[in-house]
Amino acid sequence: MKINSFSKTYGDRLVLSLPDIEIKNGAVCAVIGANGSGKSTLARILSGNEVTDSNASPLSDVAVGYMPQKSFAFRMSVRNNLLLNGSDTSRADALMRSMGILPLAEKKAHRLSGGETARMALCRLLMRKYELLILDEPTAAMDMESTALSEKLIETYRRETGCTVILITHSLQQAKRMADEVLFLDQGRLCEFGDAKKLLFTPQTEELKKFLDFYGA
Amino acid sequence: MNTAFQKAIALIMSADKELLNILSVTARVSLTSSVIALLIGVPLGIWLGACRFRGRNILLVLNRTLMGMPPVVCGLIFYMLFSGVGPFRSAKLLFTVRIMIFAQVVLITPIVAGNMESYVSGISGAVRETARGLRLGSVKSFLLLCNECIYPIFSAYLLAFARAIAEVGAVSMVGGAISWKTNVMTTAIMEYTNKGNFAMGIALGIILMALALLVNILLSLVQRRVSR
Repeated sequence: MKINSFSKTYGDRLVLSLPDIEIKNGAVCAVIGANGSGKSTLARILSGNEVTDSNASPLSDVAVGYMPQKSFAFRMSVRNNLLLNGSDTSRADALMRSMGILPLAEKKAHRLSGGETARMALCRLLMRKYELLILDEPTAAMDMESTALSEKLIETYRRETGCTVILITHSLQQAKRMADEVLFLDQGRLCEFGDAKKLLFTPQTEELKKFLDFYGA
Repeated sequence: MNTAFQKAIALIMSADKELLNILSVTARVSLTSSVIALLIGVPLGIWLGACRFRGRNILLVLNRTLMGMPPVVCGLIFYMLFSGVGPFRSAKLLFTVRIMIFAQVVLITPIVAGNMESYVSGISGAVRETARGLRLGSVKSFLLLCNECIYPIFSAYLLAFARAIAEVGAVSMVGGAISWKTNVMTTAIMEYTNKGNFAMGIALGIILMALALLVNILLSLVQRRVSR
């Protein structure tokens, strides 16, 4: 999965600049970095929610599914929210069951708690098959049990569909558990990119060393 | 005072013909103008709230200015346009119910549009991002956004109706408060109080306050529903 180089500026401020990179097909690539490092901007650009400075998409014709940091719960039942993204009710029920929200299927989605909304949003996204899945901190609002269920569900989906996953996360533990590759951003620039184990245990740059020390890896 | 109040109750209970005529003109003006304002203001508000384009900020400032336009200024503009020396004198609309409706539409459309814009701009980013993430397409995204606006539309309508029914400046200037023709509740209260006929004024005041109470109860129910 090739991501072509691009840059993004707001006014005079460069918020993200990325060279050409290639993520292994079917791999989970965790994007890590401090607040304001450009992680969410990367997700928004790759998902088509924001344009690059050159207006060109960094991805060539790829079916992208994207879960934003704050997913919107539409004013309808949880089940109908899932069915917005596909018509297979048995798949919808199976997804809700796997995330423990089947009992909430008929509840109005906009009345769910933050964690329940995130679980619903993940199920809704996984209703369809994508080549690239971009998840922007999908488990940030979830408790430990729901986080474990989400990770399991993402892994199952990846195995079944063979899709590539870009996982934006603040949790180094989650990156260690899930990622095959890691992309570290620092102040809008790509600092390190490569094999997850190698990068997280033997960082090459001072920036990543500092980051790992600070987050207690 | 007690006698005037008793007479007012008697007027309401006996369904006095003049009172009924005033109520009917008021209902015609307020309901028609608020429905027209809704038909114009809702799409305008959704457009202003959901779309980003050059000149949007100017339109927002203009709309906010119009939201606070004094009714007498609106009345004055319409009076000048449609009076014997105005450019639209041939339409012969001055002192008719129709021009009262036009004036109120101009007054309350910005209120509807402003309320819708404020609600839609608060949610449109998240709706668009989520819908695009699911690759739902722009038509479906727009329909989903409209579906989110159902309760705010009720709320905007009630606000518009409340403003229309309580408005006095514009309708008295362009309608002329002519008995049995263009006299609405607010202008009639002024007229009868000036004449010393407090009973009719109190009767209309009671009905107006009851309507205001009803609208506010409905508004709070809708707002409770929106916030849940």
